[in-house]
Amino acid sequence: MAEFLLEILAEEIPAGVLSQARNDLLRGLADALAAERIEGTFFSHSTSRRLVLFSLDLPEMQDDHEVEAVGPSVKVAFDAEGRPTRAAEGFARGQGVAVEALRVVSTPKGEYVSVRKVVEGRFTSEILAEAIPAVVAKMSFPRMMRWGDGRNSWIRPVHSVVCLIDGLVVPFSLFGVETGRTTFGHRTLAPGRIVVVGVDDYLAKLRTAFVETDYGIRRRVLVEKAEALAAEVGCSAVDDEALLDTLAHLVEWPGLIRGSFDPAYLELPEEILVTAMREHQKVLPTRDAAGALAPHFFAVADHVGDPKGHIVRGNEWVLNARFADARFFWDDDGRIPLEERVPRLARLSFQEKLGDTLRKTERVEALSGRLAADVGLGDLIPEATRAARLARADLVTDMVREFPDLQGVVGGLYARRDGEAESVWQAVYDHYLPAGADDALPRDEVGRIVALADRLDTLAGFFALGLVPTGSRDPYALRRAALGVVRILLEGGIRLDLPAALAAARGLHEVQGATAEEVATSLHPFLLERLRFLLERRGFKHDEIESVLATECPDVTDAAERVAAVAAVRKQPDFGPLAASFKRVQNILAQAGAPAGGELDPALMSDDSERQLASDFYQARGILDELIVARRYEEALSVMASLGPCLDRFFTDVMVLVEDEAVRSNRLSLLAAMRDQFFRVARLSEIQA
Amino acid sequence: MDFQTLILKLSEYWASRGCLIEQPYDTEVGAGTMHPATFLRVLGPEPWRCAYVQPSRRPADGRYGENPFRLVKHYQFQVVIKPSPDDIQDLYVDSLRAIGIEPADHDLRFEEDNWESPTLGAWGVGWQVLLDGMEITQFTYFQQAGGIDLAPCTAEITYGLERLTMFLTRTRNVFDIEWAPGVKYGEVRKQDEYEVSKYGFEVADTALLTQLFEQYEGESRKCLAAGLVVPAYENALKCSHTFNLLDARGAVSATERVGVIKRVRDLAVGCAKGWVASREGLGHPLLPKEPPAPEASVLEAEEA
Repeated sequence: MAEFLLEILAEEIPAGVLSQARNDLLRGLADALAAERIEGTFFSHSTSRRLVLFSLDLPEMQDDHEVEAVGPSVKVAFDAEGRPTRAAEGFARGQGVAVEALRVVSTPKGEYVSVRKVVEGRFTSEILAEAIPAVVAKMSFPRMMRWGDGRNSWIRPVHSVVCLIDGLVVPFSLFGVETGRTTFGHRTLAPGRIVVVGVDDYLAKLRTAFVETDYGIRRRVLVEKAEALAAEVGCSAVDDEALLDTLAHLVEWPGLIRGSFDPAYLELPEEILVTAMREHQKVLPTRDAAGALAPHFFAVADHVGDPKGHIVRGNEWVLNARFADARFFWDDDGRIPLEERVPRLARLSFQEKLGDTLRKTERVEALSGRLAADVGLGDLIPEATRAARLARADLVTDMVREFPDLQGVVGGLYARRDGEAESVWQAVYDHYLPAGADDALPRDEVGRIVALADRLDTLAGFFALGLVPTGSRDPYALRRAALGVVRILLEGGIRLDLPAALAAARGLHEVQGATAEEVATSLHPFLLERLRFLLERRGFKHDEIESVLATECPDVTDAAERVAAVAAVRKQPDFGPLAASFKRVQNILAQAGAPAGGELDPALMSDDSERQLASDFYQARGILDELIVARRYEEALSVMASLGPCLDRFFTDVMVLVEDEAVRSNRLSLLAAMRDQFFRVARLSEIQA
Repeated sequence: MDFQTLILKLSEYWASRGCLIEQPYDTEVGAGTMHPATFLRVLGPEPWRCAYVQPSRRPADGRYGENPFRLVKHYQFQVVIKPSPDDIQDLYVDSLRAIGIEPADHDLRFEEDNWESPTLGAWGVGWQVLLDGMEITQFTYFQQAGGIDLAPCTAEITYGLERLTMFLTRTRNVFDIEWAPGVKYGEVRKQDEYEVSKYGFEVADTALLTQLFEQYEGESRKCLAAGLVVPAYENALKCSHTFNLLDARGAVSATERVGVIKRVRDLAVGCAKGWVASREGLGHPLLPKEPPAPEASVLEAEEA
C-alpha cells in the first residue's frame, strides 16, 4: 500500500466553487485511476488557497495483467500439412512470441490463432503523473481566469504543487509549476516554506503553520466558537447554514471574533440591519433571549486570535459605518414620499417592448382593481390599487440601490412611515412573495391580489411578445412567476377565472403581438403545468390529477378541490367499478359518434335495467347539480359511485349499439348525459383500477 | 496617517518596485481604469509597470457634501503591472507594510469580486481585499479591454484612498480625515462637493449635455478615422463623463441607456484597436530590446 498526497496551492479560490472543485478533482482522479485498474480510498480537503487530495491505500503498481491478441484464422495460419504459414509467423513475430506459442481459440466466427501475453503493471506514480495534469486541465469553472503571459486558463494562478507517493515526488507540472515537496503556510501568520514527506506529516505541519485543511473541521470550529462567544453575552448567534458554509470556505484558519455595534442603530428596521450584516459584511447577527436583535455580531477572521484588537475594532468600525450609511438613506429617502417617486419609474426599463416601470405600475394598478372585483373582494379595490401604485416606487430610492435584495421590503417600510394603511404597506412589503416553491405568500388578501396582478401582467406581456420559455431556457423566470400565481390562488383559496384574467391582463398591454384570446389559450396550459407540479408535490396520484386536468379548469383552486375529492372517494369500494364502467361509456360513445341529443324517450326503453338507470340518473342529476354548484365534490362523487351497480347491470342486460336507430340513439343519449354530468367533476375514465 | 502621506508612501513603495509614477489624467474619468495608462497600456505585448493617483468622478454619487461616505469626486491609487508577476500578491501585502499595516496583526482576506465595464468593453476577474472586514482594495486580473482578449494579462490594484485613510484613522466622516497635518479633507473639498452635486442634480443643462455628447462622439470618430488614437480616446472619455452627468440628472431613460452605453463602447473598441495598430506600427518600443550584436569596431578596439 502506498500513501498518496496532492496539494495544489493557488491564489485565493472563490468560496462558491471550492466544494465543487474539490469533488471534481477527487472524482476525476479516482475515475482516471480506475480506468487504469487502480483503486483506492480518496480524501479531499480544501482551504481558500488549496485543493488537497490524499489516499493511504493506493497500490504501488498496477497488477500485471494478461491480454489476449487474436490473429489470423486457422485456415490462413496453417497449411494443409498443419505447418504454420507466413501469416502465422508474421503474427507471432509481431506479438514478440515464438510461433509455437500460438494457440487456437474458438470464436463465433470460427477458429483463430491467438496469443496470451502478460503485460507488466506500471508504477502508480507514472500513471498519476499522466492523469493529474489531464484531470486538472479538464476542471471547469463558471468564470475562468488567465494570468501572466495569458497562455493558461484556470480558476486562479497556481503557485506550488506538492505530489508525493510514499514520500517520493511524482514528477509533472501544472501550468508550468513543477511538482515538489515544498508548500507554504498561512499567508500572514506563517508564510515560510514547509517541506513535507507524507500525509500525516503534511496535515500536522500545516496545522502548526495555521492552516486547517479540513473544511468540515473549520466549519465545526466556527459554530463552536460562535456558540461559546454568544453565551458570554447572553445571546445566540442567528442560525445561518449558508453563510457558515461560505465563511468556512473563506479562510485557512477558523478564527471568529465577536464585535458590537452602537445600540442606537437598533432603531433602524431589523430587515435592513440583518441584510447589511449578512449580505454586505458576511457577519452573523445575534439575538437576545427574547428573540430581539442584539447589538453583537460574529465575524470570521483568517487568524488565530486578535493580538492587537485590530480585527474587532476594524469590523466594528465597518459595520457601524454601514449602519450610518443605511441611516442616512433611511432619513434622506424619507424626504420624498413614495407617492412622489412613482413618476420617476418612467426612467426604469421594465422590458424593452413592454415599456418602462411606470407603465408597468399603471397596468398592475388597473389589473389589481379588476382582480379584486373578479374574486369577490370588491371592497378591497381602493387598498389594492393604492398598494399596486406604490409597489415598485422603492426602486428609485437610495436604500434599494444600496440593498437591492430588499426591494419591496424597503417600499413597505417607507409606505408605513408615509402613513399608508396597514394593508397597503404590508401589500407593498410582500408583493414579491412567493419567490420560490417553498416561500411564504403575501400575508393578506390585498398583498395577494397585487402579487397576482404583478405576475399576470408580466406573463401576459411576455407571452404576447412570444417570449415563451423553452426547455431549460427561461431567462425572464416566467415559470417562477407562473408558479407564484398558482400558489397564491391555491394556498390563498382564491377562485379566479384564469383565462378571463389573462385576457384582461393582455388587454392592458399596448404592445403589438398575440391577441388576448391567443395569450389566454397559450398561457392557461402553462399555468396548469405549475398546478400539476404542485399537486404532485402534495402527493396526489398521476391519474387523480389527470382526470381533473382533462376537464375544463378555468379556476385552479376549484380544480385542486376536485382532485382532492377524487383522491378521497376512490378509496370507496364502489368507485373502482364506476371508473371501469366509464371507460366503457367513453369507448362506446367514441365508437358511435355523438348522439343526436334531445330528451330521452321512456317509450323507447325496453329493458328494466335501462329504465332503472334512466330513473336513477334523473333522480341523481338534480342532486348532483346542487352538490357541484356548492363544490361539494366528495359527496357528488359518492352519489355518482352509488349509480355504479345500476350502470353495470345496464351493460350486462342491454345492448347499446342495436340496429334500431331510435333505440340506439336513445341509449347513447342516456350515456352521454351521464358522462357530461359526471365529467363536470372529473373524467372518471382516466382513473386506473 | 493623513491623506497625503498615504499617497506619498504608496507612490514611494511602488516606485521602489519598478513602477513608473504617472500623474492623474487631465480629463474627467469615472475610475482610474479609464486613464490611458491603464486602458490603453493593458493592450498588446509590451510590458508595463505604472502607478498613479486618479481623481474619479461619479456625478450620481453626489450628496451635497452631506453624506459621510459618498463623494462625487474621490481619489484612487492605481497600480498596473503587465504581465502580472507571480509575486503580485506578495508585492501587494508588502505595500500594506509600507503604509504601516502589519498584516500578521490583522485579518487579511481576498474575496472573489469580478469587475466589468460595459462602456469600455472591459472585464476582469479577481478579488476585493478585506482588511478586518473593510474593503480596502480592488484587485483585478484584466481579461479583456475594448473587446480585445488580453495576453499577456495585466494585474490591476486599486486602493480607495479616502476609505483607506478613514479606516486607518477610525474616522467616521470622510470630511473629518486629515489631508495634511492640521488641514481636514472637508476644509479642502466639502464646498466642491456641494457645488458639483448642486450642478449635477439641479443645474446641468441636459439639452446642452445631449448636444455635447453628440459632438464629442463625432469628434472621437473623426480622430479615429485620422488615426489619432489618443485624442479619439479623450473624446470618448468626454462622452462617458457627459453620459454620467445626464444619467445623474435623470435624463437618460432606461431604454436609451443601453444604446448610449453601446455608443461609448463602440468608441472605446475603436480606440483599443487603433492603439494596438499604432503600437505595432511603432515596433512596440517598450518590448525588451534584443542585446545588440557587438559591432566590428568594438571588437577591433578590444583586440588592439
